[in-house]
Amino acid sequence: MADIVMECRNLWKIYGKIVAVRDVSLQIREGEIKLIFGPSGSGKSTLLRCLAMLTTPTKGDVFLRGECLTKPGVNLNKARAKIGFVFQHIWLFRHLTALGNVELGLRKVLKMPKKEARERAMQALREVRMEKWAHYYPAQLSGGQQQRVGIARALAMDPDIILLDEPTSALDPELTGEVIDTLRDLAKRGTTMLIVSHEMPFAREVAHEMIFFDEGQIIETGPPELFFTNPRSERAKRFMARLIKRTKREE
Amino acid sequence: MLRGVATTLSISILSLLFGLLLGLPLSFLRVYGSRPFQLFVDGFEKIFRGIPELVLMLMFYLGVGLYVRYPFKNAFFTATFVLSLRSAANQAQIFRGAIRGIGEEQMVAARSLGLSRLQSIMYVMIPQVFVFSTPGLGSEYALLVKDSSYSYIIGVLDIMEITDRIRKATMDTVTPYILSAFLYILLTFPIATWLDSWGSRKKKQLGL
Repeated sequence: MADIVMECRNLWKIYGKIVAVRDVSLQIREGEIKLIFGPSGSGKSTLLRCLAMLTTPTKGDVFLRGECLTKPGVNLNKARAKIGFVFQHIWLFRHLTALGNVELGLRKVLKMPKKEARERAMQALREVRMEKWAHYYPAQLSGGQQQRVGIARALAMDPDIILLDEPTSALDPELTGEVIDTLRDLAKRGTTMLIVSHEMPFAREVAHEMIFFDEGQIIETGPPELFFTNPRSERAKRFMARLIKRTKREE
Repeated sequence: MLRGVATTLSISILSLLFGLLLGLPLSFLRVYGSRPFQLFVDGFEKIFRGIPELVLMLMFYLGVGLYVRYPFKNAFFTATFVLSLRSAANQAQIFRGAIRGIGEEQMVAARSLGLSRLQSIMYVMIPQVFVFSTPGLGSEYALLVKDSSYSYIIGVLDIMEITDRIRKATMDTVTPYILSAFLYILLTFPIATWLDSWGSRKKKQLGL
């Protein structure tokens, strides 16, 4: 299967006595968008961090384009440069402008010359419609604008896949929309993404597959329609009912 | 007198600089290093923050200087040496607080782009550490200017030593001290205040 971008096999992450990720296996193909959802504290963020090798899995393997990242001696910095990551709490570099945030990886990791890095960074900012704000510091931007810069920062590196960890859940509802629009643009362009999110209308629209996650494991997977009409597992059913109710209230 | 001012300033600024060059890596070793490194930095801090400068200066000038004449018999060198180590210990502690304050998140975000740990420290942590540390660095500088006065005991021609000589020559025990007090305030206050206000402005801009 040449078109598998990212894969994990029997992945475990254990903190002391707490099992955060329990025997998870999944594959993401080129251009595919998968969406993980489930109760908070169920280990979704930990799973994403393991996939990006930002924390070392306790057991199991992670593959990026067929290369195993969990065996010793792999250049993880090089691998991480190919995996985009968007954080729930954004975590822009506070001492750099929007442009500086996007440029840093291009300059120091991809070793691009200054001019080229600047053009590429501006291009990425244009893609998230933030080029007008290029010279502002994160503290001068709204949460939604900051998150769009966060997406541009990941995007500019031209990664094989972007992992997004609840990219809108730290934002006010009125700022969520602009970030969702940005993600919709990425989806249209065929960006490979694994997204943790509870934005259900968005999920229904763009996700090729949804993954219901609870207590560190995959409970159920299927196309969005399945979850919206008739989830098989009792837990997913209950969770979906709650989410749909919440979404209606917000609308 | 001007020569004294120049000497005091050179000792203070050199010590601040060397203290920075040593204190910054120590602070990162303390936070990110393995256990033995952490213990080493802790020990270093305890020793140089715990022993009075006066004792250290005499110890290195008279004690160590007895066996290692060059360069410890040079009073200017020994004064700067001792104050640099003391300042490194202080600054390591100041920076450590800043690293903790900035938080692990910035480091994780940097690593997620593929930056190595050292690159993340260089390009993401250190610039913020400086901004975060400004009030502490300002008072550290003021402390160095004041503590450099101890170096008159080993014969450095700083403000203090020159004050003392004027007192001896003129038999005036009031004016020379008022003059030197004034000079010390002039050397410490404006720079410390400027650093402080630069820091608060920058912090506000960056939302730190």
